[in-house]
Amino acid sequence: MDPMKAQQLAAELEVEMMADMYNRMTNACHRKCVPPHYKEPELTKGESVCLDRCVAKYLDLHEKLGRKLTELSVQDEEMMRKAAVGSGH
Amino acid sequence: MAATTSASNAAVSDSQGPASPGSSADNPTIQYSVILDHLIGDKRPIKDPNPAVLGGLPVPPKSNEQKMIERGMESCAFKSVLACVGGFVLGGAFGIFTAGIDTNVGFDPKDPLRTPTAREVLKDMGQRGMSYAKNFAIVGAMFSCTECIIESHRGKSDWKNAVYSGCVTGGAIGFRAGLKAGVLGCGGFAAFSAAIEYYLR
Repeated sequence: MDPMKAQQLAAELEVEMMADMYNRMTNACHRKCVPPHYKEPELTKGESVCLDRCVAKYLDLHEKLGRKLTELSVQDEEMMRKAAVGSGH
Repeated sequence: MAATTSASNAAVSDSQGPASPGSSADNPTIQYSVILDHLIGDKRPIKDPNPAVLGGLPVPPKSNEQKMIERGMESCAFKSVLACVGGFVLGGAFGIFTAGIDTNVGFDPKDPLRTPTAREVLKDMGQRGMSYAKNFAIVGAMFSCTECIIESHRGKSDWKNAVYSGCVTGGAIGFRAGLKAGVLGCGGFAAFSAAIEYYLR
């Protein structure tokens, strides 16, 4: 697969991926960090510190899992290519 | 991981499916690793995260000065300075008030029967007000500072922050008079803070 096509496909998928990630991150961090008391409209110090940490961890996780997934799919493709070459002959 | 590799092996050994590389051009293969590199890995494009695009509400971006000011106003140092100033004012008022209802103000030990002059009384009231003000300011600053630090560390905001910082403040104040006084100060101030928090929440 040539890089140009991959880049185009990635550009199409990117917006959807980022929107999905943003929504999930907002939901998860809101559930973990903001208890449903709502005594005041502004975020307290503890809540904003918690949200900072939550977002940092989420993005870190996203990056690490993405790299792991890329590694695994490289291994998969190698194996499939070897099997294809092997059974092609 | 073992499941996916065995599944892919099974798929390939079953048939030469459309996913095998190098097949006919009308069914383009998808190489996930290359796409992932462009999506998540090193080749991804650098984008400006605008919440309007991602699905949130379109918010006008905050300028750097505004962000710095907001960060300063939320910081622990600013809060403790605010508490210090507030404590100073409150302590001064409280000191002058208690001096007003105290019968011993202006007392001169050398001549106990003489009524003190207005200037002496005022000077005494001012001294007492200043001493109360300094104490209140120190206590307020310490309490606010420790509460902010504990809240930042825990990442939650509930009543326990005030109790812990009350214990630390009371303990620090009482510790100068010995260990037992420190423990008593911790317990007393923590109980006082818990009562105030219960009333406020």
